[in-house]
Amino acid sequence: MFSKILVANRGEIALRVIRVCRELGIKTVAVYSEADRYSLPVRFADEAVCIGPPPSKDSYLNIPRIVAAAEISNADGIHPGYGFLAENANFAEICETSGITFIGPTVQQIAAMGDKALAKETMKKAGVLVIPGSEGIIETAKEAAEIAHEIGFPVMLKAAAGGGGKGMRIVRDPHDLEKSFQMASTEAGSAFGNGSLYVEKLVEQPHHIEFQVFGDKHGNVIHLNERDCSIQRRHQKLVEESPSPFVDPGLREKMGAAAVKGAKSVNYLGAGTIEFLVDKDKNFYFMEMNTRIQVEHPVTEQITGLDLIRLQIEVAAGQKLSKKSIRPRGHAIECRINAEDPSHDFRPSPGSITDLHLPGGFGVRVDTHCYTGYTIPPYYDSLIAKLIVSAHTREEALEKMAGALEEFTVEGIQTTVPFHRRMIRDERFRRGTFDTSFIESLEVQA
Amino acid sequence: MDLNYVRRLIKLVAESGVTEIEIEEEGKRIRVAKSVDHLAVTAQPTAFVNPFPLAAPPLPEPKAEKKTHEITSPIVGTFYRAPAPDADSYVQVGQEVHAGTALCIIEAMKLMNEIESDVAGKIVKIHVENGQPVEYNQPLFSIELT
Repeated sequence: MFSKILVANRGEIALRVIRVCRELGIKTVAVYSEADRYSLPVRFADEAVCIGPPPSKDSYLNIPRIVAAAEISNADGIHPGYGFLAENANFAEICETSGITFIGPTVQQIAAMGDKALAKETMKKAGVLVIPGSEGIIETAKEAAEIAHEIGFPVMLKAAAGGGGKGMRIVRDPHDLEKSFQMASTEAGSAFGNGSLYVEKLVEQPHHIEFQVFGDKHGNVIHLNERDCSIQRRHQKLVEESPSPFVDPGLREKMGAAAVKGAKSVNYLGAGTIEFLVDKDKNFYFMEMNTRIQVEHPVTEQITGLDLIRLQIEVAAGQKLSKKSIRPRGHAIECRINAEDPSHDFRPSPGSITDLHLPGGFGVRVDTHCYTGYTIPPYYDSLIAKLIVSAHTREEALEKMAGALEEFTVEGIQTTVPFHRRMIRDERFRRGTFDTSFIESLEVQA
Repeated sequence: MDLNYVRRLIKLVAESGVTEIEIEEEGKRIRVAKSVDHLAVTAQPTAFVNPFPLAAPPLPEPKAEKKTHEITSPIVGTFYRAPAPDADSYVQVGQEVHAGTALCIIEAMKLMNEIESDVAGKIVKIHVENGQPVEYNQPLFSIELT
């Protein structure tokens, strides 16, 4: 088992990892930018090293400084959290050559799944159904047009190196294809440094359903059921739940088996998530794989009873996974609370939290690094808390979430709490008949 | 009693470090007190001690007659006074340096990085010990500018 883990991240996930290490008797080192000097992860870690000025590229994305911090503190493991360097194959490789265990998948797995076009090819070879589209990158708009005619419009142009909604364009009319191709490529180039695109058939009003998978160093791969992340705004997740109201036990078994087959085909190590798009007829297609722990991991924890961060550390230390997948028990919902102003197009709202009151009680969990008096720096993402509820049934979980949101108080900054309160009362959300077009319709109403 | 006067008093107490103020004049007395909440959080910056075994960055010394310039670490690593274990130190206290003079080495990821002075002056203090780990922006040398 590790004796000291360096947490190469910040905010709520850094605190999450530090808490698990404390339980396991593992010493922790927090790295921080000058903007995070007074943050909770820095306070609670056993040791802390300042690695740079506020901008991410000079701190949380600065590989030499982070590795140097691990060296001078004698850490034997690095947990990258999510975002930042979590899916940076180069970082994982440097950790390995420096003799420090990167808590996550192997360098090859990160590289293979990080290339979205290559990942699809890999899954296809493993016999997992993928969204019809180009085989790898398309060089020209003409090539795109040929493929689009083959698979049928409407199509989606997507960035091979991307995510988060950037470098994506929907094309319904063949005449728009060339222009959309140029724009998507330019956008992808500036967002990810790589303008390569691939084409996919557009799955209309899809359900975004992802499966949590886990692999150990002994060849065992299991799945821990699905999460429904269909509530998104501009391709950013806002609410997640498990199990998905759209997935019945039969579909769960088929999709779970496909997820395990895909992960096993690359001998996957550690925590991973396989994302599927599911159409209204319950046909499911592999979309992409995320080779990291995800923000929404708590809903899976609540319905399986497993601490996934703890599992990541145990698996990286060589422990075996139990071979059985676990059926979901009960229902969990998570709302991401961001420091954003929903009445002004969700613009970021950094600043000081003058008063913070969190809900509690049986089945109410809040993962946050914030406290009364804390100043949210403007340099990083706006996630300030995750509110997770769990109950025996979805109906109970909805009521519990409504009550928890009522109590959730943040003063001094704007947050998305009011937005979540509106959403929890929405009939379509309560019935479970939503898909990824849901938020747009909610915004239009508001 | 003038309401504006009272308002200004309340504002004064709220915005300053004062917890209570009592004024008596011309037979009238007013007391404005701040209820103590937000406890240790506001005292945090001084109470919080960086728990890392590195020496906490020393507080800036009282202003000397001449201006001093701090050389701080631009990277994370291990500080060495000399280019090799058996070699002489790059600089000593009292030594004159100019812009470009090599002052020390900071080792990171098996690479030796020479740190140069960006000013001309005299070394008046060396803040870290040979072999000590240093973090970003940690003060290394104080140089009295000529």
